[in-house]
Amino acid sequence: MTELAQLLEDAGLTGRGGAAFPTAIKIRAAIEKRARLIVNVCDGELGAAKDGWIVEHHLDELLDGVRLVAGISPHTRFAAHRGSATAARLAAAGLPVLETPDRYVSSEETSLISLAHGGQARPMTKRTPFVYGGRDPQGRRVKPTVVLNAETLWRISQINQHGAQWFRSFGTQAEPGPRLVAIGGYVARPGVYESAAGTPLAEVIALAGGMTQDVRHLGIGGLGGIVMTAAEARYAIWDTPGMKIYGGSIGPGIITIWNPAEDPVDTVNRMLNYGAAESAGQCGPCMFGLPALAEDWRRYVDLPSGTSARRLTDRVALLNGRGACAHPMGVARFATSALRVLEPELTGRAVGRRYLEGATRG
Amino acid sequence: MASSLDVAKIAVDRVRCTGHGICAQTLPDSITLDEWGYPIVTDDQADPDEAKLAVKLCPARALYLR
Repeated sequence: MTELAQLLEDAGLTGRGGAAFPTAIKIRAAIEKRARLIVNVCDGELGAAKDGWIVEHHLDELLDGVRLVAGISPHTRFAAHRGSATAARLAAAGLPVLETPDRYVSSEETSLISLAHGGQARPMTKRTPFVYGGRDPQGRRVKPTVVLNAETLWRISQINQHGAQWFRSFGTQAEPGPRLVAIGGYVARPGVYESAAGTPLAEVIALAGGMTQDVRHLGIGGLGGIVMTAAEARYAIWDTPGMKIYGGSIGPGIITIWNPAEDPVDTVNRMLNYGAAESAGQCGPCMFGLPALAEDWRRYVDLPSGTSARRLTDRVALLNGRGACAHPMGVARFATSALRVLEPELTGRAVGRRYLEGATRG
Repeated sequence: MASSLDVAKIAVDRVRCTGHGICAQTLPDSITLDEWGYPIVTDDQADPDEAKLAVKLCPARALYLR
């Protein structure tokens, strides 16, 4: 088992659920604490599809990864959204399914640990990592539990089979290995594709049919991610340094091409409202802050100015690091990039509106 | 500010916190409150004795040291 951790360290595998934490560190702690394993197959982020795709197409290798990490344990659970095709497939394969409510924060790591311990699928404060065990908000004991994303376990199986060198022959030095990406929205062939870090973003999108000339905006990483312009995307590199330029990361591997027939301002509105509605309502700064952020965005759209922009950026600053989970921070990141990308357009609209008002009066 | 040898790092359990605001009164140099009364940790380093007192006084048992 410690050999496995060394192998994963040599391969440089990081978690494929979005946080990109080194898997070897997690595995070492899990072995030491005999932690229970939860396989996250929820595809919880907006536009995510790769975990379900693995269950559909590579279940045997996924199970091989599970065996390598946890052995055959009656405590291993497969978390999938209740009523989803993935949950049905897992159940049909005779696997223990942890049925998760179809809410945005339900598939967050600590939500799944809470659910597996008989609590609600809501995030818990991580005073220490739950792989060492801990306490839930009511003070009850939580057994050492490790949550791994389905793709991470699939890659563990592949690394065990083909070796660290094979894995490192894909991707970049810092982000090695093949990785899945779900490409959706305004493309000819939406679906799950295999790519690697360091690939030009346009080449990745080409797997799904590419961006047509009329595309203006796209999203990277769902609600916890960023917006960028099509012009930026044509020259961007699909890796963390490449996405960091635009405030993002490769995160959970999601690219969504926005339909140019839809107003991007409305899309941002809808996503911020969704983000506010999906707060678990536990942490004050998120419960009150996300609806206030959505409201500040609407105000800014109505009257773009230095004052309304500052209101929005001040609000964003108050969301960072002030929740049990990363949800408020993710929505804040999204709002920041939406402001950056749409600011020229919104200012233009405001100027146009004032001109028209002046013209009718004149 | 106390030296690095004798400072406490303060943190807020956001699930437990219900915005009583006692911490901002006990540790005014480290904590302010947002418009709803939830703490904003402006400096997580605090004098250990003052921090321990603030932890003890938190009605929601949300403030902790790490």
